[in-house]
Amino acid sequence: MPSVTENPAPPATSQADRPARWLRSILSNQQFFLIVALIILIAYFTSRDSVFLSSSEIAVLLTNFASLILLAVGETFVIVSGGIDLSVGATCGVAGVVAAFAMRGMVNGHDSEALVLLVGTLICAAIGAGVGLLNAALMNWARLVPFVATLATLGAGTGVALVLSNGVPIGSDSSALAAGAAHIGPFPYIFLVVMAIVVIAWLYLHLSGYGRYTFAVGSNPFAARAAGINVRRHLTSVYVLSGLLAGLTGMVFYIRLGSGAPSSGDGFELIAIASVVIGGVSLFGGSGRLTGTILGALILTVVTSGLLISNVSPNWNQVAVAICIAAAASLQVLRPASRRQS
Amino acid sequence: MTTASQPLYEARHIDKSYGSVVALADVSVALYPGEVLGLVGDNGAGKSTLVKVLSGVYNPDAGDLLLDGTERHWKSPHDTIEAGVETLYQDSGLASDLTIGSNVFLGRERHKPGLLGKLGFLAQKEMEREALADLERVGITVPPSKRTVAQLSGGQRQAVAIGRAIAWARKVIILDEPTNHLGARQAIEVLSVIKAAKDKGLGVIFISHTLPHVLQVTDRVVVLRLGKVVRDAPTSDFDAESLLGTITGLIETP
Repeated sequence: MPSVTENPAPPATSQADRPARWLRSILSNQQFFLIVALIILIAYFTSRDSVFLSSSEIAVLLTNFASLILLAVGETFVIVSGGIDLSVGATCGVAGVVAAFAMRGMVNGHDSEALVLLVGTLICAAIGAGVGLLNAALMNWARLVPFVATLATLGAGTGVALVLSNGVPIGSDSSALAAGAAHIGPFPYIFLVVMAIVVIAWLYLHLSGYGRYTFAVGSNPFAARAAGINVRRHLTSVYVLSGLLAGLTGMVFYIRLGSGAPSSGDGFELIAIASVVIGGVSLFGGSGRLTGTILGALILTVVTSGLLISNVSPNWNQVAVAICIAAAASLQVLRPASRRQS
Repeated sequence: MTTASQPLYEARHIDKSYGSVVALADVSVALYPGEVLGLVGDNGAGKSTLVKVLSGVYNPDAGDLLLDGTERHWKSPHDTIEAGVETLYQDSGLASDLTIGSNVFLGRERHKPGLLGKLGFLAQKEMEREALADLERVGITVPPSKRTVAQLSGGQRQAVAIGRAIAWARKVIILDEPTNHLGARQAIEVLSVIKAAKDKGLGVIFISHTLPHVLQVTDRVVVLRLGKVVRDAPTSDFDAESLLGTITGLIETP
């Protein structure tokens, strides 16, 4: 039987080089460095002020994380598929404002709090999915590239949120605020709900056929199409998913603020993309791990919360985020055995 | 019924243009079961366009495609795959960030049994294992590992792509430049894999610039020049010089 290997299969690993191989696989793993960086950051900020690790401060940190991670998860699917979604922050604002109008009516009509939040969540999800569908339509029919299509909806979404709300937060929902503050130990409910979604997203990205197609489309769209995958339909679903998660983030903000603020998601698209990049997901599409994105979002949340606690002006936040991106990106290039053959 | 006298796969009077550029003009080719058909021509002769018409990537502007004597209208590559026609595309058939097993099963993933499978979860270990067995069955051995295709050498990558096409094909295999990127020894191995596919009764369309390979492995040769079929004859009618002359147009064709 002919064989088309260039080299025979490598001999079984001998006992002697097993530790070396183990060490190398750790050193070539971006996530190992991210975990180390995270521990160092937490230790540093705790040493600056021990309140950083207090139960209440952890709850604040996890709530901040919950406002970011769904955007970053959606962005991960999009970037793995070879695209980019700049509209997630604006989507979050529009969804929050529109849902807040409906919820304000319900609160004034004395509907039960659970029903109010349920309806708000559904509206946010629907609006988010709608924006995602619009993004996909701009790509499929108007033939715009993802960057331009989602830049257009970023602008339109921001504008619509401001027009609808006249630039002021909509509603004043004290029971939503209470729901946002509720927690078990240091874990806010809102964080636990969001994490449940993140876990499901992880399962689907890495273990399901849907995730496999997302990687395949991002790695080589032609090969995916040639293998019988409906690339256009798959990409549409990816942008709808990203929009849906952005809409749900609008609801997270509503619960945190007790109102729908038009500018609540402003600039979050960049922090979401930063989380993905820091997490080692390739901007060219086709490779990456959702756990990387989660670590990236955690690092950014810890840095911004830590700077606040250390009494550094919040104006420095963007500089800190920029440093994190640059450090993580150069790490990807510099770490050993990571260079892919093209 | 398929008989030796009825073509397995046939293209009749195919036209295809890109804007004002005519890529294929009135092209007819027929492939019989157990036959290796060579498709040759200079760059721009229309070989890759014809491949993409035959594999359902492009719709022809005019003309008919018949599989087993039945007229077919492919809407996408998915349709041709379903019908038993596998294609190896030049250079771009694999998703290089995915593992070997994921590539072999791309588009026909196997799901876990029971509820997990219904929810869309994949039987990844089973696919990785079967992919290596499938490749071995058609004569291709790759190192058993969870490596991505990007980490394989050019030759190994090509072997995986060919192996995938042959392992899945039920009727026709279209191979666009399968011996590209291969060393001499590997190329010979690919040719023997093609012969094995032919012996199983599959029809093979073999596109190559490497004329010695064409002369060695094919039964019949179709020569394209500027989008037209200029010669369709048994391989035994050609030698390297006359084949090259026909391709370049130095030898006048009837």
